[in-house]
Amino acid sequence: MNKTVNINLAGIFFHIDEDAYLKLQRYLEAIKRSFTDSQGRSEIIADIEARISELFSERVQNDKQVIGLKEVDEIIAIMGQPEDYLVDDEIFEDEPKVNYKQKSSPSRRLFRDTENSYIGGVSSGLGHYFGIDAIWIRLAWILLIFGAGTGILLYILLWILVPEAKTTAEKLIMTGEPVNISNIEKKIKDGFDTVTDTVGDVAKNVSDSVSNAAKNVDVKKHANSIKSSSRTFFDTLADVIMFFFKVIAKFIGVILIIVGATTIIALIIGLFSLGIADIVHIPGLDMVEIANAGNTPLWLVSLLVFFTAGIPFFFLFYLGLKILINNLKSIGNIAKFTLLGLWLMSIIALIVVGIRQASEHAFEESHITKTELAITATDTLIVKMVNDDKFNRNFYRHNNLKVAHDAEGNKLIYSADIDIIVKSTTDSVASIAIEKSADGRNYERAIERAKNIDYNFSFNNNTLFLDSFFSTDPVNKFSDQDINITLYLPEDMVVFFNNNTKSFLNYRKYDGNIVSSKTTSHYLKILENNSECLDCPIEEKTIKVDTPGLKINDDGIEIHADETHVKIDRSGVKAEAEDVKVKIDSNGIEIKAEE
Amino acid sequence: MKIENTKAQMRKGVLEFCILSVLKDQDAYVAEILETLKDAKLLVVEGTIYPLLTRLKNAGLLNYRWEESTSGPPRKYYGLTETGKLFLKELDTTWNELQNAVNIVTAKKNTTNE
Repeated sequence: MNKTVNINLAGIFFHIDEDAYLKLQRYLEAIKRSFTDSQGRSEIIADIEARISELFSERVQNDKQVIGLKEVDEIIAIMGQPEDYLVDDEIFEDEPKVNYKQKSSPSRRLFRDTENSYIGGVSSGLGHYFGIDAIWIRLAWILLIFGAGTGILLYILLWILVPEAKTTAEKLIMTGEPVNISNIEKKIKDGFDTVTDTVGDVAKNVSDSVSNAAKNVDVKKHANSIKSSSRTFFDTLADVIMFFFKVIAKFIGVILIIVGATTIIALIIGLFSLGIADIVHIPGLDMVEIANAGNTPLWLVSLLVFFTAGIPFFFLFYLGLKILINNLKSIGNIAKFTLLGLWLMSIIALIVVGIRQASEHAFEESHITKTELAITATDTLIVKMVNDDKFNRNFYRHNNLKVAHDAEGNKLIYSADIDIIVKSTTDSVASIAIEKSADGRNYERAIERAKNIDYNFSFNNNTLFLDSFFSTDPVNKFSDQDINITLYLPEDMVVFFNNNTKSFLNYRKYDGNIVSSKTTSHYLKILENNSECLDCPIEEKTIKVDTPGLKINDDGIEIHADETHVKIDRSGVKAEAEDVKVKIDSNGIEIKAEE
Repeated sequence: MKIENTKAQMRKGVLEFCILSVLKDQDAYVAEILETLKDAKLLVVEGTIYPLLTRLKNAGLLNYRWEESTSGPPRKYYGLTETGKLFLKELDTTWNELQNAVNIVTAKKNTTNE
């Protein structure tokens, strides 16, 4: 019993057995492949089909008769094998082809020959490509491996990059044989034989089943499936390596997703809370508003930051997803380019904001007020810092601008960026110069902001009280405000700096400061461009000498010379000369002289 | 060098000329052309003729018309064009010369051998 199919051959209807049908189909397919389009393939095939149809019609007596393998074989015998269809181009070409020589040795392409492989089939593939035996290539590899291992790297690279010759056509191209039907069929038969040979007993069962199956199904497929059952060790190794690569790739994907997602979530939270803060006024966040000298709306800046930072992380996240999920649906080019555009725009906008912000510091201007102090050179001036519980509690100079509220609850910017410089003067009275400086986009703005700095000092009872901080209204923003105090003191005046001025005095000695922070809490006499400490303890000086013959250190003095030796230390005095020895110690004096 | 290949080459070389000759006096469809050629033992299998016919037609030496058939699909009736006729005439001359030449050469060989 046989299954039949219905076919339409050149417009005529036929019943045909399934196996016969498959044979006929293969036959027509083979013929088709032996022609090119330029030869008028479709027309030739149509003619052949018409002829076969005619031949079938002659053999079919009635409508019920089925065409079987016998009829198909007869037809093939009449029509001829695919080779018979080949027309020798040289004979029939009107003009002899110039590139005929090339045709006889068709161009080859590099493939990996996994049929004749030891590892990945790279060597045999190269062998085919260069037309030499693969053994020479293999020897070259071994030499290259000894040559600093470059061979291994190159081999792996080729293994990855060079495609495997999978189809019969590719195998033919690899070996440089022309791809035509007879070669293809020959190759398939060859391949089939090789496999059944090499696999031996194991394949015996398989080949039995194959020979059965081959009747029904494409021979090529089965040849391949047997091949896959005879995989080499290196194929398995390659699979293992690939597996690890995949695991690593997935791991990277997971990391990318986590990093991308957390960053985006953090950014969204940040954006949201900033937006809320703008409305609700969370105390600490005023800082941001005041620091923003360029007066760009806060929400805009935060949105720009969100896009600039968020979009790359979104793409990371997306990449991670793509690695994990193979058939992930693309977000689409429109979405991608929109995001890219948004990102670039955000960056540009941020740069503009940044430039605006920077330009706020383009001009630094200062405003100086000088006040005379009612004190003469004969008096002693005491300088003290005054602190405020709110602003600068610690008498410590720092140059940060901070925000606080004053007693009335008004917001204030304050800082302790105050430098004290002391200079001598020939005037009879002392004076104090307060220099306030600030930055601004232009001169007017800078000077305005400088003037707006609020700084106080007071003088009574020969004592100068200096605030240890200054403040300004928040509308002036953070614009590098600072205070320089210059004290001009008459020569011969005695001045006493309270210890709490220490941190404010220590700076800018190159400006001609004549008082060092080391001399606070002492009475200083002002000299011409210098000062003298009146009650400083005399500095202990230690001399250490260590040269051949002379040694002076904490232990004492030791002198070595020709025939003489003097040593003074904790234990006493010891002197030795050529003829006399003197020793003074806890035992008394001992003198030894030689007769 | 295989004898089959050489034989096939020889046959194929004159095939084009023979096809044109068959169509010299009357139009014919493929089966008729094949019959003549097969009878003359010029052709073993039919397959060879199809690419040749297409080639000759594409070269403008042949044209064809469709005719209904009672026993099968419609048939292509081939006929010579004017160029085809001229072409055939020239081939005829060449063939005669060639035949002559081959005869002389082979005859000479035979005599020298004997």
